[in-house]
Amino acid sequence: MTMPHYIDIAHHSLNKFGEELCGDKVEIIKHDDRIIVVLADGLGSGVKANILATLTSKIMSTMLENGADLIETIDTITQTLPVCSVRKIGYSTFSIIELDASLHARIIEFDNPPFFLLRNHHILPIEKEMIVSSDKKVYISSVDLKIGDELTICSDGVIHAGVGMLLNFGWEWKNVAEFLEKQDCISSEKLNRRLIDACNSLYEDHPGDDTTAVTIKVRAPLEVQIFTGPPSDPSLDAQAIKAFMASPGKKVVCGGTAANIFARELGRDIITEMDYINPEVPPTAEIEGLDLVTEGVLTLKMASEKLKAIAHLNEEPSFEKKDGVNALLKLLVEDSTHIHFWVGRALNPAHQNPDFPKELSLKTHIIRDMAGTLGKLGKIVDIHFTD
Amino acid sequence: MEIKVCIGSACHLKGSYDVIHIFKDYIQENRLEAVMDLKSSFCLGKCSNAVSVVVDADKYFSVSPDSARCFIEELHRWVMK
Repeated sequence: MTMPHYIDIAHHSLNKFGEELCGDKVEIIKHDDRIIVVLADGLGSGVKANILATLTSKIMSTMLENGADLIETIDTITQTLPVCSVRKIGYSTFSIIELDASLHARIIEFDNPPFFLLRNHHILPIEKEMIVSSDKKVYISSVDLKIGDELTICSDGVIHAGVGMLLNFGWEWKNVAEFLEKQDCISSEKLNRRLIDACNSLYEDHPGDDTTAVTIKVRAPLEVQIFTGPPSDPSLDAQAIKAFMASPGKKVVCGGTAANIFARELGRDIITEMDYINPEVPPTAEIEGLDLVTEGVLTLKMASEKLKAIAHLNEEPSFEKKDGVNALLKLLVEDSTHIHFWVGRALNPAHQNPDFPKELSLKTHIIRDMAGTLGKLGKIVDIHFTD
Repeated sequence: MEIKVCIGSACHLKGSYDVIHIFKDYIQENRLEAVMDLKSSFCLGKCSNAVSVVVDADKYFSVSPDSARCFIEELHRWVMK
């Protein structure tokens, strides 16, 4: 019996400087019982490389998903890829990770840098089996993953980072491995961003090659429950709050009125903060038994916008400021894998005021928007209406 | 005397931050910490009169950043009576 776990996957890319398209392509297929990740690096850069990498990753992931044999898949790629008129070859390197529900992983590699598997922050060496298919030497490794393991595959842009600029030979595999061993990141997102960000620094913001990494981290599930507004029928308050308090994981209330109702129903004091960390962000409050209490719609709107920006960028986000927005985002981005929104549709009289901005009047829209972005970041999100 | 300034959504948008700072500065300047206890609160339910301020738990006022200084001076005179 495998421990309950969550497969946290993140990937980021840098385009070769001046290129609009990336010549590396990542394809992720997630089923309940199986995950397939393909990272393909097309020959050259720009459009040509992008087409090669897209074809390779798409064909391989689709064939493997449908149960095709590995050798058959590689042969299909060899015979399908268009041949470059300059180099007279059709070529794309690839790394594949197949992971099943019992955490058995198979890693298949062709000409990409060897994968990095970390257990307890140390590289875990795995024996590789070589097979030859269509004159290609392909390496296959099998390993049973455990909670806490971090597996990273990358394109050669990572191990060559800084070549001819800051470093004569680029970053090199062993130094990347050492860098990864030193990191202590709770999420794949964080570890992957650090790696790609480090590459970008070595390239002095001018990547000499397309640079991509995919990180998989096996994590124990971390639940967070977010209550965002009381039910439309006040007689449901007590019941909703009881169910919420009985749910697993961290508990957050986003909404002043909801927070007041919690304090009343739980018979506990609510202490609102007086010091503004950021004048834009309404102060938070404290209620015993809740991990975070914030104002509602403004905090959620700001958090949703910042979340979209985070999803777009490669840089590691900072949640150092302790205001309501950052505290909420830290919980969502770093400290959770499963996020449950509890939404009540009580109308807030304040929001019916003609002066109140219209886009803020529908909290459910903000929550749906936020849930969508969190989904893109690999979180498992559900929205539950309390009324 | 307890003064609670609403920091709910509507009041926040209408300038709770400025009101709190004007009150804080005035209380410090005049060394009124012993007689005026400044606090904040989530929604006081008087959103159409933002920024909502409640004095001694039952007297509600609507204060704006522009009127905050006059308001706190008024309270000062009242508390000294």
